[in-house]
Amino acid sequence: MENDLTLVVDALPGLVWTTLADGRIDFFNQRWYQYTGLGVDEAFGAGWQAAIHPEDLPKLLECWRSPLASDEPCDMEVRLRRYDGTYRWYRFRTSPLADASGQTVTLCGVGLDIEDRRRTERALRASEDHYRAIVDGIPALVSLWTPTGELDSGNRHYLEYFGETIEELRRWGKADTFHPDDRPHAFAAIRQAVETGDPFDFEGRRRRADGVYRWFHMRGSPLRDTDGPIVLWHILHTDIDDRKRDEALFAGEKRLLEMVAAGRPMSEILEALCQLVEGTAGGCHCAVVLADPGGTRLEYGAAPSLPASFIASIVGRPIDIESDPCATAMHLNERVVAADLASEPRWATDTWLPLALAHGLRACWSTPIVSTTSKILGAIAIYYDEPRAPTSLHQSLIDQFTNIASIAIERAQGDAALKLSEARKAAILDSALDCIVTIDHEGRITEFNPAAERTFGYRRDEVVGQRLADVIIPPSLREKHRLGFARYLAMGESRMIGSRIELTALRADGTEFPVELAITRIPLDGPPSFTGYLRDITQRKQAEEGLRRSEAFLAETRRLSSTGGFSKRVATGEITWSEEVYRIFELDPAIPLTLERILTRVHPDDIHSFHEILERQRRGADYEHEYRLLMPNQSVKYLHVVAHANRDQDGQVDYIAAVQDVTQRRLSEQALAKARSELAHVARVTTLGALTASIAHEVNQPLSGIVTNASTCLRMLAADPPNVDGARETARRTIRDGNRASEVVTRLRALFAKKEPTTETVNLNEATREVIALSLSELQRSQVILRQELAGDLPSVTGDRVQLQQVILNLLLNAADAMSDVHDRPRELLIRTERDQHDRVRLTVRDAGSGFEPQGVQKLFDAFYTTKRGGMGIGLSVSRSIIESHHGRLWAALNDGPGASFAFSIPRRSEGVIGAHSLGAIWTSAVTDIQQAVRNL
Amino acid sequence: MDIPSLVSIVDDDESVRESLPDLLREFGFAAQAFASAEEFLASDYVGQTKCLILDIAMPGMSGPDLQRELAHRRQAIPIVFITAHADESVRPHLLGQGAVECLLKPFSDTALLGALNAAFREG
Repeated sequence: MENDLTLVVDALPGLVWTTLADGRIDFFNQRWYQYTGLGVDEAFGAGWQAAIHPEDLPKLLECWRSPLASDEPCDMEVRLRRYDGTYRWYRFRTSPLADASGQTVTLCGVGLDIEDRRRTERALRASEDHYRAIVDGIPALVSLWTPTGELDSGNRHYLEYFGETIEELRRWGKADTFHPDDRPHAFAAIRQAVETGDPFDFEGRRRRADGVYRWFHMRGSPLRDTDGPIVLWHILHTDIDDRKRDEALFAGEKRLLEMVAAGRPMSEILEALCQLVEGTAGGCHCAVVLADPGGTRLEYGAAPSLPASFIASIVGRPIDIESDPCATAMHLNERVVAADLASEPRWATDTWLPLALAHGLRACWSTPIVSTTSKILGAIAIYYDEPRAPTSLHQSLIDQFTNIASIAIERAQGDAALKLSEARKAAILDSALDCIVTIDHEGRITEFNPAAERTFGYRRDEVVGQRLADVIIPPSLREKHRLGFARYLAMGESRMIGSRIELTALRADGTEFPVELAITRIPLDGPPSFTGYLRDITQRKQAEEGLRRSEAFLAETRRLSSTGGFSKRVATGEITWSEEVYRIFELDPAIPLTLERILTRVHPDDIHSFHEILERQRRGADYEHEYRLLMPNQSVKYLHVVAHANRDQDGQVDYIAAVQDVTQRRLSEQALAKARSELAHVARVTTLGALTASIAHEVNQPLSGIVTNASTCLRMLAADPPNVDGARETARRTIRDGNRASEVVTRLRALFAKKEPTTETVNLNEATREVIALSLSELQRSQVILRQELAGDLPSVTGDRVQLQQVILNLLLNAADAMSDVHDRPRELLIRTERDQHDRVRLTVRDAGSGFEPQGVQKLFDAFYTTKRGGMGIGLSVSRSIIESHHGRLWAALNDGPGASFAFSIPRRSEGVIGAHSLGAIWTSAVTDIQQAVRNL
Repeated sequence: MDIPSLVSIVDDDESVRESLPDLLREFGFAAQAFASAEEFLASDYVGQTKCLILDIAMPGMSGPDLQRELAHRRQAIPIVFITAHADESVRPHLLGQGAVECLLKPFSDTALLGALNAAFREG
């Protein structure tokens, strides 16, 4: 049995031994000896210990002792030396064997070779270490979850991020590390992944050790066994906080720009900007201040989270270096950082710093906002409640915000300007008197202003979108319009663009009317569009027609009245003549007109005055001038020129002048003047009867002086001693009086010559009209209003026509003189002819002058009686003698109102004019006598 | 020495007013000339005048007017009229009204002296 057992023991693949109670081994199986190479002798006792690795022996001995004491089995792994000296791992397991009495008598040990297993385990461990090193080296947070989604482990970054051990993290669970806002969707994602076993990813914020949440992208993948079940999840956390912030910034920018584009008020946009800054930077207050339009003072921009009392103190401060940090930043055009206001030396002189501190602000970073054209628009200020300096991240953020602010402000300001311009455009469009129609590149109406509505009779909404040609262009012209429009689009040119054309347009009611059309291209990118300005020119056309007619009429009138026109530009000497002027000058219009050519026609006696006029033209004054032409046939033409100077905006003088050939008039006037002088002459002659005494008086006066002086002179010389000085003085006076007498004689001599009075049939009305014609200019000069009441059936009278006209002239001029001092009423003069009783004809001249003394009425007709300074007082007496020579009567009467009336009445027929014929002879002899007397003197 | 008698002259003609006083002074009179009757009446010489040489035709108050005015004022001054108006018909009329003489211009110095002598004889 024992041998059988030994055979079994030896056949076992492991080592078997038994140990005595005292620890000595009393049995080894055959494999033991073979493995260790030890002999029986060597192994027994303590000799076997030589095969145990020295490091493992004490533990083994200890382990073996304990089963003996406690009946517990001992199980441990030790290195056992093989026969070749190499150690292999063996697992030793000993169990106590009890005898019949229950006493442990021996230990039975089994040893199994575990070297291969141990080697595998080592390799595995090394591989795990390697893996961990790799995971820890990943610059991301990596964690492993159990298949049920519980945290198992995390890499070094993971633990460092949360600042906790894995055990603590396991204890806390996920809830605490996720941002509250992100928990619902994070947990849902995890739950779904665990249920389905599908990979997952989501984004969420996780709390860092310092309490700051950062954004992570978490991607989870299941790790499966070869059989398929998930053994664990590994989760990769990628930090996307920068990207998230950029995205938020981008979204904020986009929102701001959308606000700008939507035309939101600038204040609203800046407020949103501040909120974006505060949301992005965190824990700060943001304010935007603006430069006022003059660029000298701060204006409020936005400050949604700062107290109004603080912001109000900033607004209106001058933009200089010491007002406040924003003003400084704007003034210097650079970022101004006050990291700790408590120790800040700047802005202390003003009230800003104490105020900022009083509001609990401890840091302020101000950055100027600069436009694309380098104009300082304002500043962004970021305030913190604790001392703080901007990091480079902050700085780049601020730069980004500043850029957005610049765009927002510039766009808002540009938008405001654009709105103003749009409003102006709309106002212009609405109030324009011209029709304004805009069309797109297809010729469709895009705008139709009120004037166009009025003119064409369409409402804007009726025609917008329709083709212009179909609306306002008559069918006959549409094809032409279409072709022109198509050509423009194809070639980019058109005769119409930029020029004004006249065409016929169509109203809604079908009537056609003339319009003037100007088309301009709207200078915008994209498909071309056009603005058409249309004006109803019906009235202008009518006016033009009227003008044409009146011009034709004027030309005809000019031709008939021998009036020409010319214009002259003084600076260039350029002269334009009308046809009539050429006709007057008898010059060929085909030959160019020059000053030299004109001068060949000017009368030699008038060349000087002509040059004076040319000089006057250079001064640019209006003028009126008469000169003569000497024509090749030696005839003389009289020209009357009235010239008006016009100055254009450059100060250039242009003359517009009318030239009239007044030759006929001048010749008539000369003839008239001659007739007039003859009449006056005759009148003087006819006064001789009364003048006899007057002439004697006029001559006797100086003669008296002469005689007296001569006498005195003689007496002075005859005295003893002679008064020579006195004599010289009297002689001098004698000579003077002699000259005076001579003058009187000369004057008198001129008064008359031979002219025999005649007797003829006289139409008194006609004679009166001639007198009026002669004296009209004199009456007008005296501002006399002449009224004529000439009887239509007045019979003619017999008499001396010229003498009667002298009387009428005398009465008219007297009447005019009588009113020369009248200023408070019209100087009205009435001349009336009528039948008088007893077959007589009466003529009355009534004035509104000062009248005369009633008792002096008879004296009026005395020779030498005069109320006029310088008058000889012979007019009325002469007149009376003339009338009396016609067997008539001349008298005066005061009017009921102001003034007097003088009238004469003469018979229709008389036996001839009496006495008058002798007057000339009397005068002739009288003057001869006087001349003789003076000579004798 | 006797104080010369004052002869006043009233004439609107300047050459008379210039020449006649010198001649009168040659005669030994004192002389004053006035351009109008109104001027003479307004002067202080009316009472002193021993003889008046008076033009007939003057603007305003004429010579005869002045004669009447003086008579009205009871100023008995001998008057010698002078006139350039060659109208013999007025002379008898004036003499009839109390004038000493009426001389027609131009008159000689002897005619004047004769008239003055007549006037002073009267006076």
